[in-house]
Amino acid sequence: MGPGVTELRAELRQLVTGHVPPDFLGAFTDDPADLAVAQRFCRTLADRGLLCLAWPEEFGGRGASAWEQTAVREEMWAHHEPRGAQYMGVNWVGPTIMRHGTPEQQRRHLPPIARGEVIWCQGFSEPDSGSDLASLRTTATPDGDGYLINGQKIWTSYAQMAQWCFLLARTAKGEKKQHGLTIFLVPMSAPGIEVRPIRSLMGPHHLNEVFLSDVRVTEADVLGPVDQGWRVVQEVLSFERVGIARYARCERLLLAAPRVLGDQWETLPDELRGRWARMLTHCRRARLLAYRVIALQSAGTVTPGDAAAYRIAVTRLDQESAEVLMEIAGQASPAAPDYAWFRGEAGDHWRYSQASTVASGSIEMQRILLARALLRAS
Amino acid sequence: MNVDLTAEALAYGREASRALEAAGGENLIQFSERTEALRDVKVAPVLAGLGAWDLTPRTDPDDLEAAAALCRSAGYWCVPYPVAERLARPTDLAADGLVVVRGAFPATAPSTTTSAPTAPPGAALPAAAVSGIELRWSAVTLDGQRAMVVAQTPQGPPRTAAFVATLDLAPVDDNGADDVALALVLPCWTLLGMLDRAIDLTRAYVREREQFGQPLAAFQSVQFQLTDAVVERDGTEMLAKYALWSIQTGSPDALHDALALRMAAIEAAEITFRVAHQLHGAIGFCDEMPLSWLSRYSQPLRRLPLGLSATRAALTARIGRRGLTGLFNE
Repeated sequence: MGPGVTELRAELRQLVTGHVPPDFLGAFTDDPADLAVAQRFCRTLADRGLLCLAWPEEFGGRGASAWEQTAVREEMWAHHEPRGAQYMGVNWVGPTIMRHGTPEQQRRHLPPIARGEVIWCQGFSEPDSGSDLASLRTTATPDGDGYLINGQKIWTSYAQMAQWCFLLARTAKGEKKQHGLTIFLVPMSAPGIEVRPIRSLMGPHHLNEVFLSDVRVTEADVLGPVDQGWRVVQEVLSFERVGIARYARCERLLLAAPRVLGDQWETLPDELRGRWARMLTHCRRARLLAYRVIALQSAGTVTPGDAAAYRIAVTRLDQESAEVLMEIAGQASPAAPDYAWFRGEAGDHWRYSQASTVASGSIEMQRILLARALLRAS
Repeated sequence: MNVDLTAEALAYGREASRALEAAGGENLIQFSERTEALRDVKVAPVLAGLGAWDLTPRTDPDDLEAAAALCRSAGYWCVPYPVAERLARPTDLAADGLVVVRGAFPATAPSTTTSAPTAPPGAALPAAAVSGIELRWSAVTLDGQRAMVVAQTPQGPPRTAAFVATLDLAPVDDNGADDVALALVLPCWTLLGMLDRAIDLTRAYVREREQFGQPLAAFQSVQFQLTDAVVERDGTEMLAKYALWSIQTGSPDALHDALALRMAAIEAAEITFRVAHQLHGAIGFCDEMPLSWLSRYSQPLRRLPLGLSATRAALTARIGRRGLTGLFNE
């Protein structure tokens, strides 16, 4: 990956050690202090030019290499994403506005993202439109010099704390359901928006419903061409092709297990330690499959099938390693110095892992993509 | 990070594949099953023509990648010849090939031939799929004990014995610790080639075979089984490249990386061959289909020197509490 990446990794670890408490389990717990940690951490990264280091220099980034971006993804996810919700603005909302936004939209939205001051949420899924996203029914109807938006979004992460929403709504009924969709950049403070948290396995502040009743937006809030939003969304999804570096947290926790258990490690059933070794192998496997996607992407030859193979491997790893970690944690002696930390980590990992084959494109969608790539007539 | 073999190695692998196909492709295994001697007569000259035995994978990093590519092509055509085993020959013994064997040898002082190692009564004897290839064979244990070996006559025809012979051992020394990783990794590249072939055959079959008025490939349950196999194969490929890189760089972890690869490769083979057979249906068991041959001749690679559980146990014992080297070792 090169020496630059090694240095970057070391710098990120130092910042995490210095600015994130060791028992931090993400920004969305019951404790509002955790959100505050994440918000401060984003500003710390921004001050050092590390928040948007992948952005082109003209927008205040460093034009970092794909491998540097990979190191950031790995280090952040391994340490419970101390950027909190802001990774979305950095990873894809910002880049999409760079490509499709008007100069005014760029002036308005990019600097706050780069400074680590703004949280975005993504208004895509609806109660009846999950994997079949293009079937969504939230409407935006022309009204004067703008639009009125009506409908309901669901599973909207971070909606309670977000200032802006990257929202997909129907502006026309075309022959194909992919036609007639438009992207709106909607302030969450707009009248007519109501956010209702959904209590869930992942904790109280993660998933939400968003109700939109006659929410008024202007033409200046439209991103990209009207009725052509689907194309932009496809592009957004391709920015996120590699997605979350789930293997990094799996590996960090698996490698921590023998340290936490100390000599007790040797008393675990051989079979459990064998499963642990297998999971470490699968961590490496998933990491290398991610690197393959990144290498192919850099060469411009990546296919949706390559990315799908990685995502199938990494999401299954996430769940299988969660089971192994929970079993190890269950056998650990409460006298171990890091016992509470490890139990907390394992439990959190297990809860979040349940969603890994569902969120951001279910494993079934990934299998369909991979099968399509495989079975396409050659 | 380079996750693929060099362009030269890939080109060499393609050239090897063409040459092996021209020499008979999957017919080679069929001839050799009927007349075991053909194994040597028909295959060895093709490999010699490819310059296979001029490769020095233990000393030249480019040759190492070429050797891996060659093994993959040999696996693809189910070539009935110990290609990987010959390429893994040690540099400091007068031997033409090297196989890894399980267990431990008796104390290494006497150089007399023993027909059995110190295995407890009833335990499996050291064995390898080298019968009928009259060369100077050597063997090494995971702990680096080395022996010169002579293959006994297999107990059964190739159809059931798959050229596997028990080995008579003449212990040599304990200096083989650095020999083991390559001798584990190259056969995994052969197995990887077999997985490639099993997937290609299955993909072609489900696109062609129609039931209920449509190709099997149109059924999602069929598609999803195939994707499971492909994810396993692709993951094995990544670990195979990693293990090669570990050897190239002289990593102290090379044996761990080789065992991790072997464990994943055997698991991938279980899944891939299961999917391939299931999706082929009854025709897949018939000898008119290449899958039938590929599947049964994959057995020695998957069981010797260690099967899935034993490989996992060896890996677990060796990595200890430190684990595999990754991003977060302490």
